[in-house]
Amino acid sequence: MKRSYYLFSNGELKRRDNSLIIKNTRTSKYIPVEDVNQIYVFGEISFNSKLTNFLFQNNITVHFFNYYGYYSGSFYPRENLLSGDVHLKQAVNHLNFHKRLLIAKEFINSASFNISRNLKYYNRKGITLEFQIKEIDFLRKKINNVNSIEELMGIEGNIRKIYYSTWDFFINQNINFKKREKHPPKNWINSLISFINSLIYTTTLTEIYHTHLDPTISFLHSPSERRYSLSLDISEIFKPIVGDRLIFSLLNKNMITHESFIEEFNHIILKDSAKKIILKEFDERLKQTIKHKKLNKKVSYRRLFRLECYKLEKHVTEDTKYEGFKIWW
Amino acid sequence: MYVILIYDINIEEDNKKGQRILNNSFKICKKYLNHVQKSVFEGEIDKAQLEKLHAELNRYIRKDLDSVIIFKSNNPRWLMKDFWGIKEDKTSNFF
Repeated sequence: MKRSYYLFSNGELKRRDNSLIIKNTRTSKYIPVEDVNQIYVFGEISFNSKLTNFLFQNNITVHFFNYYGYYSGSFYPRENLLSGDVHLKQAVNHLNFHKRLLIAKEFINSASFNISRNLKYYNRKGITLEFQIKEIDFLRKKINNVNSIEELMGIEGNIRKIYYSTWDFFINQNINFKKREKHPPKNWINSLISFINSLIYTTTLTEIYHTHLDPTISFLHSPSERRYSLSLDISEIFKPIVGDRLIFSLLNKNMITHESFIEEFNHIILKDSAKKIILKEFDERLKQTIKHKKLNKKVSYRRLFRLECYKLEKHVTEDTKYEGFKIWW
Repeated sequence: MYVILIYDINIEEDNKKGQRILNNSFKICKKYLNHVQKSVFEGEIDKAQLEKLHAELNRYIRKDLDSVIIFKSNNPRWLMKDFWGIKEDKTSNFF
């Protein structure tokens, strides 16, 4: 299983002996290229075209994060898995209003299922959330009857609003989480969510790269926004099960607290040490395995992302109907 | 699977040739595994990659003079690792 590599230190990433080496004034360390799936760059790394060509050859995606820890973009090698057939069919599924809505509904359907599953977990643990769970289930029933993407997004927004309002009940820390804010996040909990969501987003992007799907043609989000919107679509499903659960555990174990952030101008940003803690936990989580019901074998969380892409690909080529991932344990 | 690879390349027989084989082996191994000590490598690798590594190494090593040993384990958990002296995690993916 290839791994993700995280670069925090400053220096130079180079090609050396058909493998990778990271060098700075103090140390130089080899990175086995065959072990690399994707690279996250948080520090100041310089590299040259010789290296980029080498990364192309090895199908390695590189994700860049800016000084504030926000995702700024990815180095995405030329698509090596091209299929005009899938590409066209994906576009047809987007252009046909009914087909597009069908897929979009499925994304929200499974995302909200996973959200309510999270709440049910804490409800079982003795925190009264029955009212909110009922409310969400009520909203979920409406998903099937919507007639436009906007309406669907509206329902999703309402579900999330209820969902976020419950966080105060089961997180041991005083998070003061009023509402979700972006660009820039105004309190630390929002900043934490943004950071972790960007990790989910990039993981999805890397997995899409290994399928025939085109990451720019999306179904739920509108595709004309200069980003890989299909990645945003698929991320919706995994945010509650991977991202949010990670946030709960980080906060409830006091691994991340108010102290992990610094305020700078009007940004609230994560300290480098905190970023490292989060990434270590995130990395561990993606490696964790579950027994897959259909495949009847152990698969890692990261693999689930890929399977989701495969299912979508099968749907657009009209092989099997797409059914979003719903947590079953 | 998790493997530890160690090699012993003979440079006494034919110094120039031995040195070249040593260099090549080093270059090949570090593409697949983490370099831990002079001739010791360690890391997670799958069957296919291990075959590839084997094939690449086979092009250079001499069956009668050099030796490569691979210790395999299904899981790094079954491998208790202690450090005597300098303690350094060379297999980390955080830099």
